[in-house]
Parts: sequence; C-alpha cells; structure tokens
Amino acid sequence: MKTINLILNGKETSIEVEDNETLLTTLRERLGITSVKEGCGIGECGTCTVLVDDEPHYSCLTLASKANGRDIKTVEYLSSSGVLHPLQEAFIKSGAVQCGYCTPGMLLSAYSLLLRNADPDAHDIKEAISGNLCRCTGYIQIEEAIKNAAEICKCNTQNEG
Amino acid sequence: MLPKFASVIPRTKDEALSWLSSLENPKIIAGGTDLMVKMRAGKHCSHVIDVAGIPELMGVTEEDAKISIGAAMTHARLSAEGTIVRNARSLALACGLIGSPQIRNMGTIGGNLANASPAADSIPPLLIHDAILTLESQGLRRKVALEEAIVAPYVTSIDRKELLSSVEINPLRGYREGYRRVAKRATWAISRLGVAFAIKEDGNRFIDVRLAIGSCTPMPFRPGKVENLLAGSEKNDAVIAEAIRVALEEIKFISGIRPSYAYKLPVLKGILEEVLRG
Amino acid sequence: MFIGQDITRVDALDKVLGTAAFAHDLKKNNMLFASVVRSSRPHAVIRKIDVSAALAIEGVVKILSHEDIPGENLFGAIKKDQPFLAEGRVRYKGEAILVVVAATEETAHKASDLVRIDYEDLEYVSDPFLSIQSPVLIHDGGNLLSHRKVIKGDAAKGFESSDVIVENTYSTTWIDHAYMETEAGIGYADEKGRIVVASSTQNIHYKMKEISRLLAIPTEHVRVVQATTGGGFGGKLDVTVEGYLALAVWHTKRPVFMRYTREESLLAQTKRHPLYIVYKTGARKDGSLTAVEVNIVGDTGPYNSYGETVCLRAAVHATGPYEVPNVLVNSRMFYTNNPISGAMRGFGVPQLALAHESQLDEIAERIGMDPLDIRMKNALKRGSLTATSQVLNHSAGLLETLKAVEPFWRERHKRGPGSGFGLGCMYYGIGNTGISNPSSCYLTLTPEGRVEMHSGVCDIGQGSDTVLLQILCDALGMEEMGIDLVRGDTDTSYDTGSTSASRQTYISGMAVCDAAQKLKKYLKHQGYYDGKSLKDIYRNAAASAIPVFEGHFDPPTTAPDPETSQGAPYATYAFATHMTQVDVDEVTGVCKIVKVHAAHDVGRAINVSSVRGQIYGGVAMGIGFALMEEFIPGKSESFDNYYLPTSMDMPDVEVMIIEDREPTGPFGAKGVGEPALIPQAAAIVNAIKDATGVSMRQLPCDMERLKVALEKSKEKGR
Repeated sequence: MKTINLILNGKETSIEVEDNETLLTTLRERLGITSVKEGCGIGECGTCTVLVDDEPHYSCLTLASKANGRDIKTVEYLSSSGVLHPLQEAFIKSGAVQCGYCTPGMLLSAYSLLLRNADPDAHDIKEAISGNLCRCTGYIQIEEAIKNAAEICKCNTQNEG
Repeated sequence: MLPKFASVIPRTKDEALSWLSSLENPKIIAGGTDLMVKMRAGKHCSHVIDVAGIPELMGVTEEDAKISIGAAMTHARLSAEGTIVRNARSLALACGLIGSPQIRNMGTIGGNLANASPAADSIPPLLIHDAILTLESQGLRRKVALEEAIVAPYVTSIDRKELLSSVEINPLRGYREGYRRVAKRATWAISRLGVAFAIKEDGNRFIDVRLAIGSCTPMPFRPGKVENLLAGSEKNDAVIAEAIRVALEEIKFISGIRPSYAYKLPVLKGILEEVLRG
Repeated sequence: MFIGQDITRVDALDKVLGTAAFAHDLKKNNMLFASVVRSSRPHAVIRKIDVSAALAIEGVVKILSHEDIPGENLFGAIKKDQPFLAEGRVRYKGEAILVVVAATEETAHKASDLVRIDYEDLEYVSDPFLSIQSPVLIHDGGNLLSHRKVIKGDAAKGFESSDVIVENTYSTTWIDHAYMETEAGIGYADEKGRIVVASSTQNIHYKMKEISRLLAIPTEHVRVVQATTGGGFGGKLDVTVEGYLALAVWHTKRPVFMRYTREESLLAQTKRHPLYIVYKTGARKDGSLTAVEVNIVGDTGPYNSYGETVCLRAAVHATGPYEVPNVLVNSRMFYTNNPISGAMRGFGVPQLALAHESQLDEIAERIGMDPLDIRMKNALKRGSLTATSQVLNHSAGLLETLKAVEPFWRERHKRGPGSGFGLGCMYYGIGNTGISNPSSCYLTLTPEGRVEMHSGVCDIGQGSDTVLLQILCDALGMEEMGIDLVRGDTDTSYDTGSTSASRQTYISGMAVCDAAQKLKKYLKHQGYYDGKSLKDIYRNAAASAIPVFEGHFDPPTTAPDPETSQGAPYATYAFATHMTQVDVDEVTGVCKIVKVHAAHDVGRAINVSSVRGQIYGGVAMGIGFALMEEFIPGKSESFDNYYLPTSMDMPDVEVMIIEDREPTGPFGAKGVGEPALIPQAAAIVNAIKDATGVSMRQLPCDMERLKVALEKSKEKGR
C-alpha cells in the first residue's frame, strides 16, 4: 500500500492505494467517483478518461501511484463552482447526450482542448475527441456542442478581461 | 484485474538503476500503455519500476551534431517538439499518429522501442536517422544501434536489468521527409504498413535516399539495396521502378510470401512510387 | 406546443454531471459479486466439473449450477431453448456453465479460473450451409431453425418477361453491438423478500417473467428496474445478467452485483446474423422491376434468441422499398456452434439493403438509367403493394426522401480518381412482424397538482422518455410540462414491450395518447380547461378515489400467411434515402466517407434534435458495418482489434426530415432508430462502385479487401 497525495478536482486529497491498483479503481471504488467509467479496461474506448495535469489520460491504464503529486480532474470539476460549465450546457442543448456513458470522458477531452486552444476549428475538435468512442451519437452533435461552448467561453473571457 | 506486484517510483536515474539491479523480477513502466494491457492479460512480475517522472530521462538536446531524446519523452511531446519537427520530421509525424490523444499523452518513445512491435510507428523514422540506444545498468553503460537491438518481433536485446535511458539520432536537414502509414480506420489503429522516408535530391538526381518499412517484415527494416541503388542515381521512371522491384524482392527474401502481402506489396509499391516521385 | 421542438432531454443533466446511475455504478451494502464460468469449447458434453479448488478460496460463498435452479433452466425471447446454465452439454464457446458468487469481484474471477471442467468434445458445426446435412444435431428437432418464404405473383414468369436479369451473391458477417456500457446489474431481496434486479436492459417486464420462471415464483414476487442504460442496439433484449443475479440472490440471501468484462461481452453475447444472400433481379429496359428471387441463408448459432424474427423480417424486406409484382424469397436460419446471432439494429434488413441496393444499381447500369431515376420509378408510394401485397394506404414518403436528395444527386460531380457517389434506400416496418406487440401505460394526478406518467419504456439513449413527455403534453394541451415521469420499474408501470423494432415512439406514444384522451376528457369535465388548477382537481378527487387513466395500443397487423408471408405484417413503415460521397485512395484501398445526405420519412419528428442524433449515430454504425467491423470468433477479443468508427471517420452529414404523417401514429410519428442505420452501408458500397468500378459484395469492404479487388480488376482490364 502507498499513500498518494494529489489534487483531486481542485482539492488536496490523500489516499491509500494498492501498488497494483489502477487510478480508475481508486476513483470509482475508493473515492466513489463513478462518473469515470470502465468500458474495456485496455485503453481502447475512452470512457475512463480523466485529466492528469489537464491532459487526457486513460485511467484504466494508469497506476494509482502515478497520480501522486499530480492534478487529477474528473467531470465533477467542470461544475464544481455550482454552475454548469458552458461545455455541459452546450452538450445538453445540442443533443450531444444519448445514452450518456461516453459523456464524462468526452467532456473532459473537450475541456482539455479549450484550455489549450480557445478557438478550435472543426479538425481540432474532431482530433480532441478522437480517443473517445461513442456508439450512439455519431459524434456530430458532440462536435457542435464543443464549437458552441468554445464561442461562449471566448465571450466569457472577453467579458472578464 | 492486475496480478499482484509492488511498485517503486525512483526519483533519479541512479535510483532506478539501483532498483533494477537489486530486485528479482522487475519490469520497467513508463506510460504503461503496453505493459498495463499485458498485465491485465496475466503477465506477472514482482515489481514495477516507474520511470515516467525521472527528469534525466526527459528532454531533447542537441549535442555534437546529434540529437538526444530522453526515453521517457511522450509521443505527444515529441510530435510537437521543435527540434524534432525541424530535424526529424518523420519521427514527429509518426509520434503524432500513434494511438489516440490519451495514448500519446501517456506513451513514451522508450516504451514503444522496448515493446518492439513490428508495427511500432516510431521505429522506421528512428531507423532512417541511424538511431543509437543508450542502455544503462548499475555501473555499466552501452550503446547499441537500434537495428541490432531488435532481434525478433517484440524481442529486443535489452537485458532485463538494463534501462533504456535515451535514443540518439542524426538530424537530417535539406531532406524531403515524412511518414506514411495505412490503418483500418482514420486514427487509433495499429499500422498495417508504415514507410518512413527522407530524400535528398538535386534537380533530377537522387543524392541520398533513406527508407524504412514497418509492419511488413518481422522487424521494421531499411532496404539497404534500394538505398544504395538510388544514391546518386538519376531520378526517372525506370530507376524508380527498379528501386521498387528491389524493395519488394528484399521483403520477399526476408519474409517469404505472407498472405497479407496480397494487400501490402501493391500498397507499398504505390506508396514508394508517390514517395520517390515527390 | 412541445412536438417538433428541440426539448432538452430529461436525462441529459444527470449525464453531463456524471451522476446518472448506470448499472455498473450500482451498489448495496453487504453485496457479493458474481462471475460466470463459461465453456471453452464450441460443442461438448460436460463429463465432470470440479469446483473444489475454487471453493477452497477464501471469500467464495457459493458456486451455482443448473442443479441449483428451482424453476425452468430454459429461457428465450421467442423459443425457450437456451439454458441459463448448461445442463450436461455446451453448444458454443462462451456458454454459461456456473455462477461463482464471492465477497469481491477479484475473488469471484480467481475462483472461476480455478474451476476444472472435463469436456468430451463433440463434432461441431461451423458452416450454416453444411448444417442441414450434418449428422451432428444441435437440437433434437434438426438444424434448421426457421424457413420463411415470401411468394407473390410468379417469379419465374416475371423473369421470362424481363429484358435484363442480374444475379449476385452477397454476404455479411457477425457484428458486435459494442455499446459503451457492458452488461451489468445488481440483485437483492427487498423487505418483503421479493427478488429485485436492476440492470442495463432494453426491457423490464420480459426479464421479470424470465426470472419468475427461473425461480418458480409468481411474477408479483419479482421486480425489475432499468438502470440508466449505456446503449442497447438489440444486445440487451435477451436475458444477460438478470437470471444469474436472481439465482445468486435466491441462494445467498444477499445483494449480488455483476458486470461483464468487454472480453466477456464480445465472447458470450449475441451478434448480428451473418447472412448469405443470393439475389436475382429482373427488370424491363424502361427500368421497371419485374421479378425478384432471393435465397437467404443465415447462421443463427446454437440458440434461437431472435433468429426466427430476423429470418422473417429479412424475407419480408428482401425486395427493398420497391413495387415488385413477382417475388420469391426463401429465408432460412440454420443452427451452428458458432456465436449466438440475435437481435441487432435492423434485424437482417441492413444486410438485405446491401443486396437490394447493389442489385438496383447494377440493373440501372445495364440499361443505362440513372440510379436515382430507377429508384423513383419503382419506389413504393401510396397505393402500392408491398412484397406481401399489403397496400400502403398512407405515410409512404420514399419519393419525398428521394426528391430531397435529388438536387444534390443531380449536381454531384467527381473530384478526381477515386471519387464516387452512391445511393441507398430502405423501408422498415415499425413494430414486431405480424404479431401482437402492445404497449400499455397509465396516468394519474399528484397532490402537488401535476400529471404523473407511469411508463415502462426503456430509454436506452434514443430519447424515448423525453419524446413520450412531449407527446403527453401536447395530447393534453398543456402549456407547461407539468408532468412527473415515473419510469423503468415493473412495480410502477405496465408492460410496454421491448425497446426494439423502432417501435416505442409509435406504439408507446399511441398508448400515451390513448391514456391522454381519457385524462383529457376527465380534466375537461373537472374544469381544467376553464382554468381550474390540477391541484384543486386532485383535492376534489382525493375525497373518493384518485382516478387512474390507462392507455393501450397494439398496432393493427395481420399474421403473415405461413406459406407465402402475404398479409399486413406492420401498421406503418419508415422510409429513407441516403446519398453518400466517398474518396477511395486507390493506392491504399482506404475509403474515406466525404459527405452524407440522409433523408428520412419519420412521419413526424417529435424531437428534432433526437431524430438528428439517431440518424448521425446510424450513419456512424453504417460506416462501421461497411468498412471496418467484423467479429472474428477467437480473434476479436476486445476493442484493440474490433474497430468502431471514431470522430475522425465521420463525414459531414446533412439530415433532411420528411414528415409524411402516419394517421395511426402519435401526432403522425413513426420511427427512426433502425432506419437511421439501414441504408448507409449500401450507399457506401454503391459509391465505391461508382468511384472504382469494383463491386464489393462482401462486408466489411475494408481497405485490404478493397485494394485486393482493385488490383484484380486492374489485371482483368489489361
């Protein structure tokens, strides 16, 4: 067992984990964060996506011990201020949510994109979610939602500035 | 469910080498994108040594007209790294094609090499840049050429007590360089064929042609006969046709005729034509 | 007015917050974990089972076999022929033999691995064509599961009067549903000792009945709840985890959780039927179809599942959406020891669409007719007779979908070598084929002054919960959506039938309308439309009894004639045309989908955004079906080599919604779930033919097969 210290969704967190435990297991089983899903266990579907230092990783392929000293974000972070993030609003408005199983992972990949690139074009958006499979939506409304959210986020930062 | 193992997270290369030497049955983990899948399928070890965060294994430096790449550099970083983009374009392109964004954020060049898949995208570009691996164990450091290090599909001559710490490549400037691959879907797929190329030409003459072909033979290889044939040759249809013929012969010599060649050889022919014509 | 609006889905908020409780996320205190021990052989007698090593592991609570089943071991959606747990014999690799129940999931899996089973291998049948002659009987009744025919007119005469005849063979293979959430669920006994199962599922009342048979207890003692379900596509219609959970709870008296690994789902769960189609089409030189003769052979695996349904639906839809005066179809399903084929989006029609659309293009080419024109000439329309001689009295919008695509088709222009355009048309009968498949629901009022809708419909992501609310609101003439939805629980709803056959909007929507009419009459009488509040109306009613308003709908169909399948098997049909543009790289064989125009007659789009979402998702699944998906038994073990389309495989898709209102449907609506997928692969294959001259008649038309075919055709050309 090891104790890992990480920032989880903005909060400093300490937790004991097994050496052979995946971050996916830690989040779901120890911390009860079931928004992070298991879809395949081998890093081939994307439903387990989390942000590690704001970059998307597959938590099913990440040893829990690797989270030590890192900043980990799950979809809960997006609405941690009590208000839906523009991405979440946009997903709802654009019909980007069908069965919802891929949704948390998609939102995180999209969030990471907007941190890197405030004005993504269609190709940037496609590439940002190219590691998240969806069997329901055909991706199009998800991409529309991300584009719309990017516009809103730009307006927001302009208003703040 | 992963088998039981203990993990150690060394902070320095020396610590890593010390662990490597003292532990009974250790496996080195960097990004984990290959090893975690293997362990889920039942591969056992007593310990994993996590080297992903060791600063000495990171970074891309230029020294003595060579470029040194830390083994723990991720594919994502390498695909965007200015030095690589400018001096080893095929490697930057290949790294940008491996897996998915998440895999590229996690996986490392060291891991890609050590796994030594016949389809590893980083290997053909490294071959045309005459890559040399630095392997370290406690008290010992040796260098070995990449083509010698890979002995069989998924098998390298890296000792289980050795750490791949860096890869050295020769920069290529003034070359038309790139990486072409085919896969069963647009992204996030194993390459069914990969061609790294760097071509220096002058008007209608080939000066230096470097090629490496992956996912075709048991190990990615450089068709030396083709490169020799083209060096200094006039650039015309007949020469290109002959070069391709020789390439296909070299492949058949290495592997015989595999069922997949009904697909791969005609495709390779077409890709080489496009690549050589430019 | 809520219909036709993009009403925000009622389940979307929880899903973007990550708080939606999928079956994988369910937990109960003191719960155990179950794992299934599966056959490693395709066909064998079980000689001996040794569980001693498994039982010895600390934390193993019970290991259950068929002997522990108090009731019936056999289940099945149509025929009860599949054992929950194998009884002496296994018929496919992956068949369930035992259930291990343990304190942790890891322990359950470890124990499963330690079970020793001695098999005596039997000869196995792997070729559906040889199945009927094989001395190896998979079931006592012989290896033919089903033989359905469609006979209309005289096909032989029809061919005699043809100017052109085209005959080809087409084939498709197993496809996995590949929903993102694998099968999972939790079972427990409630305070009254009733067995409760919550699972990822496409139906609840059916599962309740199977559990009741399994445990030999009345259905009143069983409750099934639909957890938020991460995709279905037909794969969660059969009993998956529900039976094992119920059995485990029965024996341990504790809550039990189970989830399939992706490998397990791929190994053990049903697949799309591989179909081999020999298709002969006759036409006159003016393009009118004279005769169609089709021979279909399907590999249904060792158990029925939905094999009979696919057999019949494939036969009935074999001509495609065209008026053909002479039709002869023989559709046969054979048992094999291959993976079980069952229900998957389209039930055989996507496979047939590949055939009928390729045939039509080839006829068009032979007589020098444009592919759009030949489709317009033969399109089913009002007054047409289908292949089963059903007269289409209303809502037959195929021509409108063709016309919607027409301007793009007429101005298409190839960008260079490898560029091509293809059309694919389809029709699809909404609801189960020629049998009663009703839906029921009920409404009541609440003290807070809201309408409460009790729905047993399983929303699997397609958006049925929201659509039914929209329908109810408009049916009641409400200005605000003052409705509480109580859903997905056998305790609080009536049987609506399964979420399959694209039937819920049409059938459950009409059941809701039926209940709404009754409630509306009551509310009118109580003064609601004159301004009285629902709260007051409730208070008045509470004095005596809160009324309940039941709704019911069963689409009017006739059972198909057993010999000829003539009749009216569906009350309504959806129609669609897809136009797909491709760029084929002739060096690599890679086919890129550039653009899709998808025109769908849905009768009425209740929720436009959801209709679009289904069509985009169907196009994606069609791209997978056409170009990259093939389940290879023994080789396709997980997503590392079973490839689904990614965002970067998708083209721009322009959706055109046609509303040829269905008078028997809720506000004119029909359905779109399966139609969204059905014509896409056919359109892609036709586009590839246009681009390269090569006819690909076997799916998937992946880059390797396409390149090899291109090389062959180059050689022929020399």
